[in-house]
Amino acid sequence: MSATGTQAGGATVKERAELALNNDFLRKAVKFTTERLRAGKENAAADHGNWDDWRERGRQIRLHTIAHLDYYLNLFADNARANGVHVHFADTAAEAVKISLDIAKHAQAKTVVKSKSMVTEELHLNHALEEIGVEAIETDLGEYIIQLAGETPSHIIIPAIHKNRYQIAELLSADAGETLAPDTQVLAGFVRRKLREKFLEADIGMTGCNFAIAETGSMVLFENEGNARMVTTVPKTQITLMGMERIIPSFADLEVMATLLPRSATGQKLTVYMSGITGPRRDADADGPEEMHIVIVDNGRSLQLGDPEFQELLNCIRCGACLNACPVYRHIGGHAYGGTYSGPIGAVLTPALKKNVAEWDDIANASSLCGACYEACPVKIPLHEMLIYLRRRKLEAGRGDKMEALGMKGFAAVMSNAKRYRAVVKLGQLGQKLVVRDGGIRVKLGPLKGWNTYRVTPSLPKASFRQQWKTMEEEIRHGLQDMDPAVKSRMEQIVKDRESGKGGHGHHG
Amino acid sequence: MAKSEEHQSWLAELDAKSRAKQAGFIDGISGKLKRPRVTAPPAHPYRGAPDFWKAFEWPLEERIAKFQANFKAAGGHTERLASMEDARAFIAGKAAELSARYVIRQNQPELNGLGLEDAMPDAAFSVWNSDPQEHWKARAAEADFGIVVADYAAAYTGSVTVLSSKDKGRSVSLLPTVLMVIIPLERLHTRLGEILIDFDRAGREHLPAGIHFISGPSRSADIENDLTIGVHGPGVVYALLVG
Repeated sequence: MSATGTQAGGATVKERAELALNNDFLRKAVKFTTERLRAGKENAAADHGNWDDWRERGRQIRLHTIAHLDYYLNLFADNARANGVHVHFADTAAEAVKISLDIAKHAQAKTVVKSKSMVTEELHLNHALEEIGVEAIETDLGEYIIQLAGETPSHIIIPAIHKNRYQIAELLSADAGETLAPDTQVLAGFVRRKLREKFLEADIGMTGCNFAIAETGSMVLFENEGNARMVTTVPKTQITLMGMERIIPSFADLEVMATLLPRSATGQKLTVYMSGITGPRRDADADGPEEMHIVIVDNGRSLQLGDPEFQELLNCIRCGACLNACPVYRHIGGHAYGGTYSGPIGAVLTPALKKNVAEWDDIANASSLCGACYEACPVKIPLHEMLIYLRRRKLEAGRGDKMEALGMKGFAAVMSNAKRYRAVVKLGQLGQKLVVRDGGIRVKLGPLKGWNTYRVTPSLPKASFRQQWKTMEEEIRHGLQDMDPAVKSRMEQIVKDRESGKGGHGHHG
Repeated sequence: MAKSEEHQSWLAELDAKSRAKQAGFIDGISGKLKRPRVTAPPAHPYRGAPDFWKAFEWPLEERIAKFQANFKAAGGHTERLASMEDARAFIAGKAAELSARYVIRQNQPELNGLGLEDAMPDAAFSVWNSDPQEHWKARAAEADFGIVVADYAAAYTGSVTVLSSKDKGRSVSLLPTVLMVIIPLERLHTRLGEILIDFDRAGREHLPAGIHFISGPSRSADIENDLTIGVHGPGVVYALLVG
């Protein structure tokens, strides 16, 4: 799928966010859905109990696997191959696309049915398939809708979160060649019938991969609709694209992931379907793919390995909980982030995968650093800290804001000298008389433009804290004289002890 | 099913390329991790669920009650039945009520001796993979009812587990409009982990191609968060607890 239609809006996060903020429905829909998912997650976590123990367990399993990724990925590849899977390694997106197209050509494929896969979005694989004349059909209901609209997912779990039922009815009516009522059952019923035919006639089924089990060479998919089961059961050829970090050691570890992922994503105890696929169909089986390919994709992931600040990014299980928790995402929606992945995880992952801080340098600023993403994360990735590292790297790369740097230098010069500071405050108190209205400053000029576009700068008080300090200090000193004599003498004794070198520690009586 | 020689040689070529690339790809990971490649299994002290969880188990009656509550909460239907004969009567009753015309079932011993076919004389009956000439996916796709016996069930999440084999099609629990799952009570566990551990124990060579956990009817909330049932998989799912 091409990315037009979503990226056209603007070059920066700020410009794209302005589009989103002007779209009233989008803002309400995103807010409603994310709040529902977030509440669902919180209830599911509380209901399950010991949530922090489970998060810690999930984190430890992911940390362990990534720390030994060479061992586990190698084991997975060997086992998958022993199961009869054709395993491929792709360093780059281009290489993964090339392998996939080669398979499609040799299968003489006319159509590919796809279940949801963020990796294929990352690779823009649908577009590449279309260029060689292969129809790629997204079969997840939400993905099918946005594919018809020519857009990209705006939420990792609910891709068409930004569309209302009337817009969806319009898209599906055009697809059906007849007018469909804007009724959920009618619309979903049409998609079911339409895609049934597509599943049965498709040459290739294409999937992503939630987890890959190293010890057995199995791949695991979580879903609610049944479309991932369709694409791994009906077509003759299956192609699975997996990020190289999707590995877990064993089925025992899958229990922890199956506990964390659905609850964090939608608040479900388990998704309707959880499938473990171990190789193509056995010779005696009457369904399942005859030929199965797994393409293991790097595409920037390995750049995080050995990087103490970003290696934990690879622990992500793609649940979307950080999106739902993020106050910024809830306001601007997914498309404003401009990459395949949105929300806090996207703000870090997009520049990390590209190792190109410059191109994506304003994404790290689209965050309030409140830490809600970390609190929500089922494997405890410190996303808010990573956002700060990104900002620092951006500065180090000389991509900082020139005005900001200049301002900071000026701030340092003023703050390091008390006399200068006093003079500046006085100057401000006099100067602001020109701009203060109703106790606030509203002019959108010069350095106040950014702030005052959305807020009001409070005016400087008539007497600053420092100007009041003399009086306050006297009051405190005066108050001290009224202190209980016993307390006072004890405090004085402590000070004396400290000066003479004894005391300090060791008062455990 | 036989692939052309040209296709086979192309696949062999791909596999040779993949094997050649694997060493470098994996070594690249070791290099980035700044240490030599790990070749022995590393100690994994956090394997599986936390210890307090591994000891957790409900008594049978509670397992039944929780399974039913969870399965219903997900939009499924459940019945507790005393015997397989009761299951046969229940399924035949539902088939008559819903006017099921095409029925497909797994080729499982529990079903083979049950006489379902005789109990549903009005339905065209297929038994999975009982004739190598038949197009079995089409038979499953046209079916109103699919009937399977579960290999496992877990009460805590309200899930049934079905494993594929020559006699157990993945399509039978997926393509029909209505799915009937019979769960012998001795296969009902408390936790997912009690089921998953069996796959580790069995080991790679003994796993089936498809292991599917099913926790209710197919669903989606992709249109305005409005819950829709039966999007691609069965929209009506009955879990029949027998014993």
